[in-house]
Amino acid sequence: MTTDLDLDRLGDVWRQQPDPAEMEKLKRSAASVSRRARRAQLFDIAAATAVAVVVLFIVFAYPQRTTVLMGSAAILVLLYGNIRSRRVRQLELRSLTGTTENMLDQSTERLEASLKYNRVTLIAFAPAILVGLLFAASANLSSDHSLVFLIRSFPMLRVLLGVGGLAAIAGFAIFLLLSIRRIRRELQRLAAMRDSFREERKSSNY
Amino acid sequence: MDVSRSGAPAANRGDGGNGAIPPFERIVADYGPLISRIAMSYEADPSLREDLTQQIFLAVWQALPSFRADSSLKTFIARVAQNRSISFVTKQVRQPPVAEIPEKLEADMPNPEDNAIEASERRSLIEATRRLPPPQREVIILVLEGFDYSEIAEMLGIAPNALALRLSRAKAALKSMLEQTG
Repeated sequence: MTTDLDLDRLGDVWRQQPDPAEMEKLKRSAASVSRRARRAQLFDIAAATAVAVVVLFIVFAYPQRTTVLMGSAAILVLLYGNIRSRRVRQLELRSLTGTTENMLDQSTERLEASLKYNRVTLIAFAPAILVGLLFAASANLSSDHSLVFLIRSFPMLRVLLGVGGLAAIAGFAIFLLLSIRRIRRELQRLAAMRDSFREERKSSNY
Repeated sequence: MDVSRSGAPAANRGDGGNGAIPPFERIVADYGPLISRIAMSYEADPSLREDLTQQIFLAVWQALPSFRADSSLKTFIARVAQNRSISFVTKQVRQPPVAEIPEKLEADMPNPEDNAIEASERRSLIEATRRLPPPQREVIILVLEGFDYSEIAEMLGIAPNALALRLSRAKAALKSMLEQTG
């Protein structure tokens, strides 16, 4: 080492023990974090159990082919969602215990996937709504159908539904656009950070 | 997930999975200061630092079951803390890049935590460390935390020669920063 910096002495300065008040604060903070994590864990289990119980109750109460099919599908979707979120969490945790460069690479991959998903959603959701409206318009709904009748009888309701629908669509589009912008910025920062680590590695490998 | 009486995953309790892992409360008592120092060297803003410290605790709590004792627990926790800190500062899109953060220093923002940093030398050291570019900061923090060079090289996934060079540069940069802040 070329500099005369005494890292051993600086290490002693660095590792000064926090005072009891600071240590207490740290312990309280950690206890609150683990309490919240435990609660979230228990809530996940309770929510999954509640959904499964409701689905099973409906299936047993109305043992028809459609109910059984829908119930099985609901439970499968629930299981898939749980497995997927657990996998994502495990991947995130694995990246945290690896090298920083690997963590940055994996974060970049995850963000790029999110960006792609948001872009596809943004592009696809307008045609999807259009198809939905066309489908509704072409459906053979007689005017004495209660919902259609209700909407036709109250012009104000029609206006409210139209304005509300448009606002919801615009809101969702804005949300997606903001989300895309945020992800892009984060990707730029990630790329800068990753480049600084790569540069350092490159210049250290003589 | 296996939830204990206290609700922690099996490995967090130290009585299942891997017997070498102490309970979370013990880990906080033993390694809380290490986590706090790492958070402090990445985030100058006290409220964001509190948030970062909590995120590190949560990450450690969640990651503990995957600890396989192929390294020391201290190494494992330091790695999680460093990675979470770098990920945290990268997400702060409204903040300037981390290498430019220390315009606003702890001394400007007194709070109980800051008051606890009594020694001016320690304060200068923390400020100087914060000014280092992240790759150099990472290596300096690990050296200051007392890890030996082979552990650091393994943690960073680099050869010992590359570590020596990086550390040499980091020391030079730290010295220059200390001269500026001191």
